[in-house]
Amino acid sequence: MEKQEWLFKQLQEIYNQSTDFNEVVLIKAIQNIINEQTKRIEQMEGELEGTLWSPRKWGE
Amino acid sequence: MKTLLIVSHPDLINSGSQQYFLSSLKGNDKITVHHLETQYPDGKIDVAKEQALLREHDRIIFQFPFYWYSSPPLLKQWQDVVLEAGFAYGKRGNALYGKEFGLVLMIGVAEREYQAGGTELFSINELTKPFQAMAHKTGMIYLRPLTIFQFGYLEEDQKMDLLIKYWQLLTMENDFSLTTREKWLIAMLKNFIDQNSDSPNARIFTYAVDLIEENRNTIDGLKMVFDDMYD
Repeated sequence: MEKQEWLFKQLQEIYNQSTDFNEVVLIKAIQNIINEQTKRIEQMEGELEGTLWSPRKWGE
Repeated sequence: MKTLLIVSHPDLINSGSQQYFLSSLKGNDKITVHHLETQYPDGKIDVAKEQALLREHDRIIFQFPFYWYSSPPLLKQWQDVVLEAGFAYGKRGNALYGKEFGLVLMIGVAEREYQAGGTELFSINELTKPFQAMAHKTGMIYLRPLTIFQFGYLEEDQKMDLLIKYWQLLTMENDFSLTTREKWLIAMLKNFIDQNSDSPNARIFTYAVDLIEENRNTIDGLKMVFDDMYD
């Protein structure tokens, strides 16, 4: 998460200063994909935690 | 993969929405932008030249404003004369077979109106049936269209998201899974890094590539855990 925060801060600085519109759109694409990956990871970790704590699994 | 972007618009210079998308493609050697009204102001289409262009490309895209549920007249004329028997269909007419075909539509009415109960009554999928049938008859694979509704009313963020989808329609393989979109973006970033190796921003973009790849490894690792659990 620290890595992502640092990266997003750096990207935002480029985003604010860049005069190259395609570069700005690429930054938006990076932010979109990393946010989507993070959400996917959180959902999978949540599912894993839920499964490990399921009483149905305790008897196994 | 080489993409041929066939644009039809009678007044392209003064169309803000068309310019927004087209200006982002300058210098891209994988995309050929071909504006019919500039090429043929007198309406006389060079059929042999157009057919040669089609043969040279793997993905064919039509981009136009959606006028009366169809294209501007020159694009219809282009279809009538270029996609002739013996080239696009009929005996030995297999020049387009296996290529991909897609639409980019600029639409002046709100998306919600294109459905039963809306002012336009029919969906875009219904109204674009002639283009789907054309792709089918010529053996082309029909791609998900990019529909841009009321461009002028969109926020800057929404416009940028559409531009990303536009680039994907033009250059990404026909699969919208997260993995494919990651790979596509990494290739775009590496290309940017190569072209701007002196820029301090290249270092940040390299870091972004690393993080995207690291996240992918985490997702794949979690998938493996689930696969083991449910086996």
